[in-house]
Amino acid sequence: MIELKNIKKIYELGKNNIVTALDNINLNITEGELVILKGVSGSGKSSILSLIAALSKPSSGEVLVDTERVSKLPDNFASDFRRDKIGFIFQKYNLIGTMSVKENIILPLVPMNLDEEEIENKLQRVLNMFHIGHKKDQLVRNLSGGEQQRVAIARASINNPKIILADEPTANLDEKLSLHFIDIIKELKSEGKSIIIATHDPLFFGLDIVDREIEIHKGKVF
Amino acid sequence: MMLMPEVLTILILNFIFALFAIAAFVLSVKIYFNWNSNSTSQTQYSLEKKSFLAATIIKYIFAIKVPLFIFFIFTLDKISNLLTGAMCAAGVVDATQEGTYLIVLKIINIYLFSLWLKLHSEDMKERNQPYTKLKFGFFIVLFFLLIIELILEGFMFSSIEIDKMLSCCGTIYSSSAISNISTIFSFNNTTILSLFYGNYLLIAVFYFLKNRYLFALSNLIFIVVSLVTLIVFFGTYIYELPSHHCPFCFLQSDYNYIGYIIYLTLFLGTFYGLVIGIIRESEKNYYISMLFNSFYVIFLTLITIIYYIKNGVWL
Repeated sequence: MIELKNIKKIYELGKNNIVTALDNINLNITEGELVILKGVSGSGKSSILSLIAALSKPSSGEVLVDTERVSKLPDNFASDFRRDKIGFIFQKYNLIGTMSVKENIILPLVPMNLDEEEIENKLQRVLNMFHIGHKKDQLVRNLSGGEQQRVAIARASINNPKIILADEPTANLDEKLSLHFIDIIKELKSEGKSIIIATHDPLFFGLDIVDREIEIHKGKVF
Repeated sequence: MMLMPEVLTILILNFIFALFAIAAFVLSVKIYFNWNSNSTSQTQYSLEKKSFLAATIIKYIFAIKVPLFIFFIFTLDKISNLLTGAMCAAGVVDATQEGTYLIVLKIINIYLFSLWLKLHSEDMKERNQPYTKLKFGFFIVLFFLLIIELILEGFMFSSIEIDKMLSCCGTIYSSSAISNISTIFSFNNTTILSLFYGNYLLIAVFYFLKNRYLFALSNLIFIVVSLVTLIVFFGTYIYELPSHHCPFCFLQSDYNYIGYIIYLTLFLGTFYGLVIGIIRESEKNYYISMLFNSFYVIFLTLITIIYYIKNGVWL
């Protein structure tokens, strides 16, 4: 379902400052699989997620999702691909603080021109699933870290994407909230979604729901 | 002359266009000669990034340059007020050696630049961007035409002599004129109108037959036939003067800027006709082309008929 072939990602930070974030990465992730990408900060985990989500392009090699070469998509088509297939949970949630919970969650639906009833149905589904219905009219900036994360997950799930990508999802959470996040991930996996989590949080290591743990070190797979 | 605000605006814009066009040209050459859409190499990904930059630069140059033609004509009209003998833009065009060549080149460039914009727009609609190599190759050619136009424009504005006696449009666009233009007056009205309506009929036939290449070709011919007919026949009915044939005067306020409507409809009709043959066949493009060409023909025909009803004579 997700295939990374001979991926190389180089960041040119200056004339003589070139960083090789990923070096000849080859990965295959099947449908419904839960994969943990583990490694220290700067090992290249986030770069892999960005490439799968077509948020960035590789320096060489190709990324295929459902046999489509997403690494070759022009920007406008990459946006459509993300909207239809990807739910991305960012480390810092990337929510809009001045908007309400409801407004944040339905943001991915705005370009789809859906009717109000359909939007409301989709919203209710994720509000119930992630237990944040009682906060739906509150501004996101007034929520706690755990609540903000649930809003971020709800936003990532509202389009019912086949792939969920999470970048250090528990970095800003205490242990209790991290365990709650793992429960949510279990639920998403039970729905058949492919989930890739980039983390160095030991809570995720050895979990029974995890299908594979992949160690990334200095841009290489071990 | 060079210090007139309008002329300065055009020259400064030209300088900016030239700078950006040179940058886009360098990128276009790299893209054109190294592009391989199937490749996943570092070079190809780098070219894909550069192609967005280059295409954006070219898009904005042409998107500004095309409507700037109207401002150019407006400026020539304004300059004509300062020159002895010139009554409209025609006199200014005729005042320098470069004028006529510049106008002809500008008309050709408007079509070519617009075709590039359309090609780019079609390219961006497809996931695999099938026209990328073609559009950058096309720009390499257009770059030289653009630079020639900018140079000619600079020469034209710098060589206008304010104290030189010029010919007015009535002299330039007449059968007695000593120029290439006078040859078009050797056609009689019956011939020229048969060509005009016959050409339009052909466009209509190929529209219904949906023959893209013949439709485009008949549109290409229609550009020339329409301009000649406008100068030789329809112009006299717009001016209500049998001897006045100027293609510029009706762009002035005295004629309610009617020329802008006439030229714009002719451009849109024929341009979309060319798009069908050169870039892509689509029902929408057929429809737009036919709509504007029909508007152009009906509009000019009505002006003539209304004149006849009002005055009871043909010119």
